[in-house]
Amino acid sequence: MNENFDIPVPVPSSETEPFWAAAREARLVLPRCDACGGHWFPPSLACPRCGFERYSWVPASGRGTVFSFVVYHRVYHRAFKEKVPYVVAVIELEEGPRLISNVVGIAPEKVRCDMPVSVVFEVLRDGFRIPKFTPLG
Amino acid sequence: MTIPCSIESEPRQRDRYAIVGVGNSDLGRVPGKDSLALLEQAMRRALADAGLRPSDIDGIVSRGPDDVYSHHQRMGQRLGINARFSTSLDNGGASQILGVVLAVMAIDAGLCSTVICGYGRNSWSRTHATREARVQAELIPNEQLPREFAPEYGYYGAVGTHALGARRHMHEYGTTREHLAQVAISFREHALRNPEAVMKEPLSREDYFAARFIADPYGLYDCSLNSDGAGAVIVTSAERARDLKAPPVLIRGFGTFNNLRGWTADRNMVETAAKGSGQTAYRMAGFTPDEIDTAQIYDCFTGMVIAQLEDYGFCAKGEGGPFVASGALKLGGRLPANTSGGQLSEAHVEGMLQIVEAARQLRHTYPAERQVAGAETALVSGHGGNTVCHSTLILRAGR
Repeated sequence: MNENFDIPVPVPSSETEPFWAAAREARLVLPRCDACGGHWFPPSLACPRCGFERYSWVPASGRGTVFSFVVYHRVYHRAFKEKVPYVVAVIELEEGPRLISNVVGIAPEKVRCDMPVSVVFEVLRDGFRIPKFTPLG
Repeated sequence: MTIPCSIESEPRQRDRYAIVGVGNSDLGRVPGKDSLALLEQAMRRALADAGLRPSDIDGIVSRGPDDVYSHHQRMGQRLGINARFSTSLDNGGASQILGVVLAVMAIDAGLCSTVICGYGRNSWSRTHATREARVQAELIPNEQLPREFAPEYGYYGAVGTHALGARRHMHEYGTTREHLAQVAISFREHALRNPEAVMKEPLSREDYFAARFIADPYGLYDCSLNSDGAGAVIVTSAERARDLKAPPVLIRGFGTFNNLRGWTADRNMVETAAKGSGQTAYRMAGFTPDEIDTAQIYDCFTGMVIAQLEDYGFCAKGEGGPFVASGALKLGGRLPANTSGGQLSEAHVEGMLQIVEAARQLRHTYPAERQVAGAETALVSGHGGNTVCHSTLILRAGR
């Protein structure tokens, strides 16, 4: 059985659906304004910078840095009972937006702010994949 | 683009309104009272303190757990009054000062004359009433909790959210857990002088470091208490205050700011909305940080105290850790803060008890070991609403 079976799967909204659809195919995408070219996240009806109302979902490089992180020791949900201590981080993507995610593939005590990372995808139940980040190099 | 604030001349509201009564409910573990009953108890005590009857009140601004609908209406029903002005608020821990602000604005606009403001919660009872309740640590209804970009990553609870800010602050400014410990230890010392405080035992540096991590860098003693409790204050005009029983505490200034772009956006995690909120309040009060005698800072977590002290200008940005380690926050220090023990050691009532404590300090009614000697001015902060809303209240003694 998938060890991530118990983890709650994301419940997409109409606006985040394209993000999760791409994640199922192990692709990280972001909304990019068709006028000013800026990326933003989470999605909304119009570009928060220039207000233009058309945007496209475009591939992100998948590279970024750890803006900040926390090591969870308390178990808030049974699915994470075997996973503590685990790292929840704010990842600053190269394109600018910041995402909540996990840093994996490194001991929690070795994670540092501003550490470069790149995206990997982890499989949850029902074919869901979620982007996580691992140290570069 | 920021539209410049145009409060240049002396603000019309400065010193024109006053807190004339304060009260708190029983605090800590109060089984058998829900959040509304706790708030009714606090409100009735505030009324007694002011020498007023419920029928003297014509305004209510209140707040409780997020799942209690039409909160202010229920409080009016319990007090047996109709009100010319009545509403509930939705800015989390920033709501309680906002309630006082709204009271002043409503009286100033001629909508009403005497407003009771309050907040109540029954967090301890909710989480300890039954075995099932122990896992339900939130006051937020399940359907309002995030359903993406959080649970799938194990990102739960206010501790983790705030710990992200503390970590970044440590990274940028060299703040350490030694500094965080000094916040918890300073406020615990104050709690030991407050018979109503939940925490009764001293907290040593060794106790702090021996405690379990919740979400590293935050351990058990970095986190505020899970309490039952309520607080209430009564606001009226300074003119009316003169005829009342209690020495008035004048509302000198206030301000709000809301980093609605989000906690993880921009520099909001390390430079909080206390900055904008404080600037507005100082300008209205005509005070500088040096003129504040005691501060009651929203201490949901130790690191938030350090960040706010900087953002309020009590020390330079990044120097909050050493400022706290110097003993500045202790009674007798440069800026005695959270003199009741705060939310870390007295009880966590989302900032309401910080307003109550500031008012009591300015009335000089405490025994010497709890009293900030010669306190004439106080600053109170409120923070919350998904970590981005902030409110500031500056008070001065009106004796």
